[in-house]
Amino acid sequence: MRTQFLKPKFLKLTGGLMAAAMLLAGCGMQTATDSGGTSGVGKDTNAGEQTAGGNGAGKENTDGEAGQEGETAIGSISYPLNSDKIISWYAEGGLNPHEKFVDASESPFHVGLSEQLGVDIEWVFPTTGANGGTFTTTLLADPGSLPNIMQVYWMNNANQYLTDEIIWDLTDYIQEYAPDYYAWLQSNPTYDRAMKTDAGQYYAFGFFREDGGWNDSYLGPVVRQDWLEECGLEIPTTISEFENVIKVFNEKYGATFNASNTRYREQGLAGAFGSNGNYALNNGWYVEDGKVGLSQAEEGWHAHVSWQNKLWEAGLMDQDILTEDDTTIKDKIHNDKCGISITSMGQMNNWNLEREASGKDPVWIGIPNPTSDDGEIFSIFGGPGIGIHTVVITTTADEETMKLCLQMLNYAYTEEGSLYWNYGKEGVSWEYDAEGVPAFTALVTEDTDTDPMTKYNGLTWGACGIQATNLLYLKNSRAAIEANDTWYYVYPDDEAKNLAVTSEWKWPVGVTFTTEEADELDEIAQNLPTFVEESYAAFLTGSKDIDDDTVWNQYISDLESYSLSRILEIRQDCYDRYLAR
Amino acid sequence: MMTRSFTQRLQRDWSLNKWKYLMILPVLIYLALFSYKPMYGLIIAFKDFKITRGIMGSSWADPWYKWFANFVTDPYFPRVIKNTFLLSGLTILFGFPAPIILALLINEVRNKSFKRTVQTITYMPYFISLVVLCAMIKVFSMQDGLFSQIANSFGGASQNYLANPRYFRVIYVLSDIWQRVGWDSIIYLAALSAIDQEQYEAAKVDGANRFKQMIYITLPGLLPTIMILFILRMGSILNVGYEKILLLYNATTYDVADVISTYTYRLSFPTSGSPMYSKSTAIGLFNTLINIVFLLLTNAISKKTTDSGLF
Repeated sequence: MRTQFLKPKFLKLTGGLMAAAMLLAGCGMQTATDSGGTSGVGKDTNAGEQTAGGNGAGKENTDGEAGQEGETAIGSISYPLNSDKIISWYAEGGLNPHEKFVDASESPFHVGLSEQLGVDIEWVFPTTGANGGTFTTTLLADPGSLPNIMQVYWMNNANQYLTDEIIWDLTDYIQEYAPDYYAWLQSNPTYDRAMKTDAGQYYAFGFFREDGGWNDSYLGPVVRQDWLEECGLEIPTTISEFENVIKVFNEKYGATFNASNTRYREQGLAGAFGSNGNYALNNGWYVEDGKVGLSQAEEGWHAHVSWQNKLWEAGLMDQDILTEDDTTIKDKIHNDKCGISITSMGQMNNWNLEREASGKDPVWIGIPNPTSDDGEIFSIFGGPGIGIHTVVITTTADEETMKLCLQMLNYAYTEEGSLYWNYGKEGVSWEYDAEGVPAFTALVTEDTDTDPMTKYNGLTWGACGIQATNLLYLKNSRAAIEANDTWYYVYPDDEAKNLAVTSEWKWPVGVTFTTEEADELDEIAQNLPTFVEESYAAFLTGSKDIDDDTVWNQYISDLESYSLSRILEIRQDCYDRYLAR
Repeated sequence: MMTRSFTQRLQRDWSLNKWKYLMILPVLIYLALFSYKPMYGLIIAFKDFKITRGIMGSSWADPWYKWFANFVTDPYFPRVIKNTFLLSGLTILFGFPAPIILALLINEVRNKSFKRTVQTITYMPYFISLVVLCAMIKVFSMQDGLFSQIANSFGGASQNYLANPRYFRVIYVLSDIWQRVGWDSIIYLAALSAIDQEQYEAAKVDGANRFKQMIYITLPGLLPTIMILFILRMGSILNVGYEKILLLYNATTYDVADVISTYTYRLSFPTSGSPMYSKSTAIGLFNTLINIVFLLLTNAISKKTTDSGLF
């Protein structure tokens, strides 16, 4: 049922939004190419608006559809751009050549992108094994020689980079040189709001999921179906039933509740306690009725942690839960030491595959995030389908080069370019199947390397572009997709209610702090994540009793000494400005 | 004799020694470029440093001691200072004598092939990468890991030893000894081979047993080496092996494991927010200051007791 619910939605999205975007972009306009190297930009616009630009591109005054309807005037760009410029392009994460390749020159995706765009690209990636963020910082130490295009995560500090003129303010150019991207942003006010500053400046190309957030709920609770059946238990839906499954599994198999810390830290089972966020501070910020709060300072979190402490004391929770990672937990998973857990669709899939490889049945299935016993749930692990990626153009690109970069980045949001970014070259790595949906060829499906599609596409993980839901279907197993459906569709028949639980409570993607706010936060907010995390650990293990009122009150007043009120004040201001955009 | 002016003396000196000055020039350039020029960067401890603005472009901190004050008033300040001294002190207290004892014991072994085997086995762990070593410790410490199994056989309960603040220091110090003891003993073994064998023969004639020979001949023979290594070790008292702490600590053990360098690391490479260059540089300076104090102190004590010091 649920899969069926998704299918039409997916089709609606492709059919609706994409078509709308294409229509707005005025597809099919022919463009001329100038002799200066950069490609021509065909502009269909009202004559009076023809002010921006000046790259000598062939311009035509036409009465395009968009113009006639009184819409914003936008043109279309034809690829390849046939430029003789070399553009340096840095990606902090998500775009590295497949591990089997020495560098981008061996990677079909990277080489192919140059061909499709008609521009030579000099790729820059963090040194293998280096932390991406640190590498980016190293590049920043020499602002004069930054790569022209940088895929980074700068949303919150965008103002700083704009003020310091590290990156281009694209506002005056985006409509003309990235019409398809601009049309995409206009197709949904949420997208547009996330991709500009409070002052309305466009500065980045973003990552979007075509499914609008479905895959942002890629992790949730999982259970061993065979054990459930052996014990005569139903799939748990409330927190009491969930706890009961843990208890029964413990009595019968000696198993405990366990999860890898990366999967558990963000959300845990907070939703059932009317809360959000487990011990990772970033998932603790929430918005309710326009008010910004931190769940880790509130009663819901208290109840959530107190419940976890109860499990710990009763020996129902694995004591390794704080140090477990995706590799170490497999020992517990495959040796019948854990029958109920929280993990990602990919990891669950691995568990099943590894069981099959050793001749056992694939028994792990995704189950819904438990609700409170009254059937209420405040939040689940999720998101709005907008990534925190920001692909920016730095000021090492002069105006001409910047315009070229805009056109290069725009490609990912065109119909043709989106197919390339999602699947690679048609006829090589993919073809349309009988139903007219892209499907990978044997080149990908018979490749036994890890994630072979990443050799040919660029949107498996996240980059500038719109990730096709179909790509996720092709990449993941059926059980994993069903698990994602189970987690995401809390209210399958009520889209508004579902959005409230999956993403609307979240601190939004794309807010920008002012430079003063960012500086102040740097000064006062650095220690808060550590403090919350270690307090959680103390409450969980019982070395501090969370149910002792003096201990809890002390914790709350300690939060104040870590400037919580001031931080909330700053975040509230920032959120209000975001809403007002 | 006629007194010459400064310029005259300089000219004379130059004509006499110009080749020597030319020979020393590359060294001076090297020091200036790689040791003194980088010190210029310490200015950022007194600035609100923004990497995109560069050192000169960033504004001065107001007041100039802003980041030092920020560190000292930090809720974590007392804790990281305490942990730094405790972990470093414990490592010296238990880790320093261990290789000496091992060397003395190996020295007493007569069977040559057994001796070599013991030596090889004890210094092998030194070649294990720290990351691998810490991964091993993590696995051993798990709820059903090696340590728990050992505890079980003595009637103890299973637990995750790295999630219990009581065991962190023990694990840290013991694993440090385990990894370094064989390697560090090599230098003592070398010193032992330099002791005159005739002394032992004379002692035997005098009727000293092997324990007495060790106390009265071997140890005094080793003492100069021990003293030198001890002074060197004291000079780096604040250099706790922070990589190992970073790899081993978690939220449950921050309280006993967080040291100055791990704290600085978290500030410099935060999981969210921007790196705190100015504050971490200020802490680095502060750290250096303490190290200098200790160096001077050890030097003074050494001068007083052994009449030899660095300066």
